[in-house]
Amino acid sequence: MENVNVLVVEDTPEESNALIKVLEANNYNIIGVATTFKSALDIFYNKAIDIVVLDIFLNGNPDGIAFAETISVTPNASKPFVFLTSSTDRKIFERAKLTQPFSYLMKPFNELEILYALEMAVEKFYAQPDVFLGDDEDTIISSEYLFIKKGKSLKKVLLTDIIYIEVEEKYCNIITEKEKFVILISLTKISKLLDDSMFSRTHRNFIVNTEKITEIIPSDNLILLSGNHKATLSDTYKDILKNVRTLK
Amino acid sequence: MVIFLDIFVFMYPSLFKGIVNVSFLVVMFSGYFLSSQEEHKTDSFDLEVKKKIEQYKSYSYFYKAGMFFIENNWDSTLVYSMRHLNTTKQNIELANYSHYFRGYSLNEKKLYQEAQKEFDLVSSEFKFNFIVKKRLAEIALEKDEFEKAISYLIPLTKLPEEHYKYFKKTEVFQNLGICYIHLNEFDKAESYLSESTKLSKERKDTLKIISAYGNIAALYYNQYKDDLAIPYFKEAYELSKNIDNFETKRIATLNMAVVEENRKDLRKALEYRKEYEKWKDSLNDQNKIYEVAQIEKAFAVKQKQQEVNLLEAENKSKIRERNGLLYSALTLLILLGVALYYYKEKSKANKIIVAQKEDLDALNATKDKLFSIVSHDLRSSVNALKTSNNKLLDNLEAKNLDALDEQLQNNSAIVNGAYNLLDNLLHWALLQTNQSYFEIAPIRLFSIVEQTAYNYKPLMLENNIDFKNDVLKSDSIFADQESLKIILRNLLDNAIKFSKPNGTIKVYTQSTNEKYCDLIIEDSGIGMQESTRLALIEDTISLAKKENKNSIGTGLGLQLCKSMIKKNKGKLDIESELGKGTKMIVSLPLKA
Repeated sequence: MENVNVLVVEDTPEESNALIKVLEANNYNIIGVATTFKSALDIFYNKAIDIVVLDIFLNGNPDGIAFAETISVTPNASKPFVFLTSSTDRKIFERAKLTQPFSYLMKPFNELEILYALEMAVEKFYAQPDVFLGDDEDTIISSEYLFIKKGKSLKKVLLTDIIYIEVEEKYCNIITEKEKFVILISLTKISKLLDDSMFSRTHRNFIVNTEKITEIIPSDNLILLSGNHKATLSDTYKDILKNVRTLK
Repeated sequence: MVIFLDIFVFMYPSLFKGIVNVSFLVVMFSGYFLSSQEEHKTDSFDLEVKKKIEQYKSYSYFYKAGMFFIENNWDSTLVYSMRHLNTTKQNIELANYSHYFRGYSLNEKKLYQEAQKEFDLVSSEFKFNFIVKKRLAEIALEKDEFEKAISYLIPLTKLPEEHYKYFKKTEVFQNLGICYIHLNEFDKAESYLSESTKLSKERKDTLKIISAYGNIAALYYNQYKDDLAIPYFKEAYELSKNIDNFETKRIATLNMAVVEENRKDLRKALEYRKEYEKWKDSLNDQNKIYEVAQIEKAFAVKQKQQEVNLLEAENKSKIRERNGLLYSALTLLILLGVALYYYKEKSKANKIIVAQKEDLDALNATKDKLFSIVSHDLRSSVNALKTSNNKLLDNLEAKNLDALDEQLQNNSAIVNGAYNLLDNLLHWALLQTNQSYFEIAPIRLFSIVEQTAYNYKPLMLENNIDFKNDVLKSDSIFADQESLKIILRNLLDNAIKFSKPNGTIKVYTQSTNEKYCDLIIEDSGIGMQESTRLALIEDTISLAKKENKNSIGTGLGLQLCKSMIKKNKGKLDIESELGKGTKMIVSLPLKA
């Protein structure tokens, strides 16, 4: 599991330092701090960013909103972002609100509030509401990552790192090359949101990353995966064989 | 014409005998004219006309024509009868009357040819056809068409007696006589004239008798039967003395003068001449008087007309004035109505304004009070910090670290209190001016309670207060996030403020209504009196007086809570028991 990368766009050093302190204490990775609109765009386009925390007012101008507007219209580049503001000015908020999905954090804020705001931003951005606040789920699936709530902070797992997923009732065991952990997510949701071309169901309880298959032994109903992992292949899901490149 | 002939007589006395004929003709015609002028239009016929026009009053032209006919206003009669004939053609009787009016009027104007044409247009069914015939006879006579006149006149001698109401039989006989004289058929003339004389005598019509005598005399004189003629002349002359008609007197006298001249009795002739002159002058005088009278009459009529015009104009102006008054009265009335309406509207508006002013005054008073309390509190806080800072400096000098730590803790608490107060003040101002961002959205209560309580954790720990967030993670309501946080902050702040050390603060939800979720902040603190509780939940802006001297508080916090809850379409309720604790119950809607 990796830490989530956060870009902080904030022109006041004290504020950004306080923010960074809280975020780092909660295992977020601060990938950059920008103080202007331009530097923010620079970092945004050059680094792998998961969430942007962005002050509405940069040097007295609502450049934060302009930044949000800019990244919102860039296809495939947009990321979840949180507006950070001390202003309660209605007009500015109305404008900020137009940059959907809209998540904000009011200054002064405490640790819980900033963490909550980040989680909300991710939920809203990936359109999977009520995940982190409830008891039933703790994972959001994007096209590249699984965002998993671990304690108070968020973690991410690259989808391509996953070898297979073993479902146990409400839980899912995620097995990667290096680690093995449990997430809370419903089977229907995970099978719906995972990329079909990458993951295939082989059994009622197994979802396998097809890239990681080393060998299929139909007679034993067994699939051998990289790292010596094994998954079961049930008759219901033997269609998978058609999709696998086989030597003839 | 008559005067001309008279002058002619004067100028050629030597031709006397020959001219007498002419003179006699004059006499005869004079007599004839007299009767026509005075008796053509008998009252009886006017009465008939009057009856007729009353009967046909709806034909306004006919009516007017008739009226003017009766009034002898010939021109107007002509105009209106023509108009009637042009507009109405169906009624033959009225057409006959109209033609008669026209014929008569034209005759009066001596347009004989035209008159004859009009009379000829009268159809034979006309009730008064015999009058028409008489008029035609007169016209024929005028035009010296004696035979034609006779043909008209003969039938008129044998009319039923009642017809002679409209003209005198004697006239017919006289005219016949005159015709025959002109035709030199003296026998016939004599018989008719004597018949006329007889009739006139019977009727004691002196005028007629005189003209009849004159005519008979002329008849005899023309036949050179002077002996027969002269007595008639004399008789006529004698009779004429007793009448007032100057014309008759004049002609009778002239005749006598001519007779005397012819008899060569010049002295007598001269006398008669003189008398004749006198009568002529009288006649002229009479004519002049008549003319003057006419002029005076015309003048009077004109004056009357002017008066009438003046009155009409006055009337018109009066009507105009009246209308003007009416319109102005109406306008005034409308204006008054409008003014009244606006006055009412204004007074209504004024009432509202007064009520609003009172509200505003009350609000302003509250605001002033708030202002003074808040500034007082802030002043106290800052003052406390000031003295505390001095102590800090002292302790720093003395390197009394324990005391320093204590002082800092104390300062932090003071600043926190002041900050909360300022925060509330800001939010209050934003709420009042509707400046704050407000968006109702679904909110998970547990998380919000956690976030809000997070700031109070150290304070609660310090006071040894046990805090429990028993809100279910699944509890979700609809509210604006920031205002909900402000509500919770204030309620938690109050709960801590009024808690005793080692107390408990519990936050939990309970569902009593399917539309609302009740969020309850319960403390085990000092509680409050019933009167305070009621004052707090009352729906008016009231600032509570301080009951607890040690606690900073203005009542602003709770006031803000109430306003925010209201804006979130929620409700606030308080349950409290003195000495045991307070439950603040915030009901928030489950649906948007």
